[in-house]
Amino acid sequence: MAGLSIDKITKRFGETEVLRQVSLDIADGEFVSLVGPSGCGKSTLLRIVAGLETQCAGDIRIGGQSVAGLRAADRNLSMVFQSYALYPHLSVGQNIAVPLRMRRLRGMQRLPVLGRFMPGARALARDIDQEVDRAAQMLEIGHLLHRKPGQLSGGQRQRVALGRALVRDPAAFLLDEPLSNLDAKLRVQTRTEIAELHRRLAATFIYVTHDQVEAMTMSDRIAVMMGGRILQCAAPHVVYDDPDTIEVAEFIGSPKINILPVELDGDGRVSLLDRDLGLVARNAPRGGASLGLRPEALRLASGGDAPLRGHVAHIENLGSELFAQVEVPGLGRRVTLRAAAQQRAALGLGTPVGLSFDRELALLFDASGARLRGITRAAPARVEVA
Amino acid sequence: MVATHPAPPHVAAAPDHVARRHRTAWVLTAPALVLMIVILLAPVVIATALSFSNYSLGNSGFDWVGARNYEKLFTRSTYAKMFIATLTYVATVVPISVGLGLGAALLINTLGRFREVYKTIYFLPVMATLLAMAIAWEFMLHPSIGMINRTLEMGCGTVLERLWPFLSTGCADGFPVWLGDKRYAIWVICFIGIWQGFGFNMVLYLAGLTAVHRELYHAAEIDGAKSGWDRFRLVTWPALGPTTVFVVTISCIRAFQVFDTVEAFWPQGGGPNKSTYVMMFAIFEKGVQQNLIGIGSAITVLFLIFVMFLTLIQRWLVERKVHYG
Ligand SMILES: Nc1ncnc2c1ncn2[C@@H]1O[C@H](COP(=O)(O)OP(=O)(O)OP(=O)(O)O)[C@@H](O)[C@H]1O
Ligand SMILES: [Mg+2]
Repeated sequence: MAGLSIDKITKRFGETEVLRQVSLDIADGEFVSLVGPSGCGKSTLLRIVAGLETQCAGDIRIGGQSVAGLRAADRNLSMVFQSYALYPHLSVGQNIAVPLRMRRLRGMQRLPVLGRFMPGARALARDIDQEVDRAAQMLEIGHLLHRKPGQLSGGQRQRVALGRALVRDPAAFLLDEPLSNLDAKLRVQTRTEIAELHRRLAATFIYVTHDQVEAMTMSDRIAVMMGGRILQCAAPHVVYDDPDTIEVAEFIGSPKINILPVELDGDGRVSLLDRDLGLVARNAPRGGASLGLRPEALRLASGGDAPLRGHVAHIENLGSELFAQVEVPGLGRRVTLRAAAQQRAALGLGTPVGLSFDRELALLFDASGARLRGITRAAPARVEVA
Repeated sequence: MVATHPAPPHVAAAPDHVARRHRTAWVLTAPALVLMIVILLAPVVIATALSFSNYSLGNSGFDWVGARNYEKLFTRSTYAKMFIATLTYVATVVPISVGLGLGAALLINTLGRFREVYKTIYFLPVMATLLAMAIAWEFMLHPSIGMINRTLEMGCGTVLERLWPFLSTGCADGFPVWLGDKRYAIWVICFIGIWQGFGFNMVLYLAGLTAVHRELYHAAEIDGAKSGWDRFRLVTWPALGPTTVFVVTISCIRAFQVFDTVEAFWPQGGGPNKSTYVMMFAIFEKGVQQNLIGIGSAITVLFLIFVMFLTLIQRWLVERKVHYG
């Protein structure tokens, strides 16, 4: 086990720059997720860490040692691939044994039939079998050891791939979207299992996914990547509650955060559709800005003081809660609101509703998308009637 | 069963309906069945029947001779030579042309730019007519004016002569009469067979290589397979299993069918001392040239049995061993 540090990695494929000066420090035993939209360079970064791809600039250190010039086989990392990459001609047991056989047995001892009669091979083979059994027990695939990968379900294959990764004691585990081939239910279950496995092994995990729910539920820290850069790397609740940029806020959270166009005046007072919202952003330039409101920050309000008014355009009922999309005239986009299941009656399609929001939870971003912090509540101003 | 379950009402009309459907099915399959019997099965049956007779084309009648044709096949020394020549050819050409095909495919697969050029060059002999090529080879192999012996002569008197005993004896006593010497004739035929056939195997292997999952190589690297040989054993060779079975079967059948070169080099008689008297040539000589249809058919039946046997082995291998379903 070891910590891992990624230092100003740059990668170009021809003219296109896929990674731009990416830096990330991962502590020993930490579970870090790389999350971002498709094509943002997550897999490329992971493959550079693994040594399957070479960077154009920058350095990778594992346990404090630079691994520049070290080939993948010598970096002592384990990797789980999106396609699982199991050897189709080998049984499950043999698949899991491959990393041990390759590292512990010499060339002659690995020969198909003769190998067993080489001096020392028998004892080594017995050790390997025991370790394979142990890994199989841990993942509850002991009864599958004699099957071929082609005879397994997706979830079982995924476990075998995990088994092959954890049969050794690598410096770190690299997982590239290991759950993306599973159905939704199995994904939830396996998610929990991987998180528990991490706790049990106390190993360093780098987990690539484009599913922000996976990242949120499993990680110690989430690194949000976009366009070849890490925009923010922090604990899940920090990334969710306190995003640094509008891209991060929009990427994390489902349903998506509501982004509303607002105006800042010279004093930093925030107004939406010419209504003062009672918020003041200090040290902010006047002009256009964006207000981010998560669906749970909004609530139904009656009476004339609601800052947003509109009518219900669509409802998604999830059973325990529901999300209502409200069409607000003049805004040009719908606003999503989370409501408790009991409020369903008040949210019939087309019903006019008023919306207010929790000022503590409002996120403000400047015109370039950077977060504006230090927002205070203003004393409710006189409503200026135009 | 029938008694305990009262028949549902619509079953009463069924027998008629089912019979009609059966009739339609037979009518629809009839053309294919007839063609299959006439074109594929009948010749085999007729050849088998003829192999038990002494029939010759043009004779009004013939006699059944029982297994006498087969007896000849297994007792006469000419046919022993036929089996030896055929099996030598198959046992030499198949492994070497498959091995070279695989090697060339692996090498070409690592190339970026000149891939297509190499592919075309190696594939040229496959596309060329073997009969025309045989004439070119005949010139090259000519004992006195042929390019091969001329080239060898250039080595005389150099240091090579001391390193290579074959060359020194050649320089002293004259170089081999390649096509007239029973020690060399079959190997010349084998060489030309390999030269002509391995490009085909290479193309099949190149196709097989495109199906190898790239991520498996990465997995192998992570798992510690450092040498090219380890990766070949762990990923490439198993993935090429189905291709290999196919390539070996095709190569075997093609090797059993070798004929053009023998016919071109030795139109009479199958080589010096019958050393290249391969099965196909024997069928041609007996059945066509000498009009001994009976014995020709017997060799044909034997040939069919060989090929059938190979095909069965291939099916078995494909189903049991190399399809990792
Ligand atoms: N070998 C390559 N040659 C050229 N471009 C490449 C190569 N590999 C990746 N790319 C490009 O690099 C970018 C990042 O690819 P990468 O596979 O890292 O994306 P990703 O974030 O893993 O996406 P996904 O979630 O879809 O897996 C993509 O735009 C891709 O087109
Ligand atoms: Mg990817």
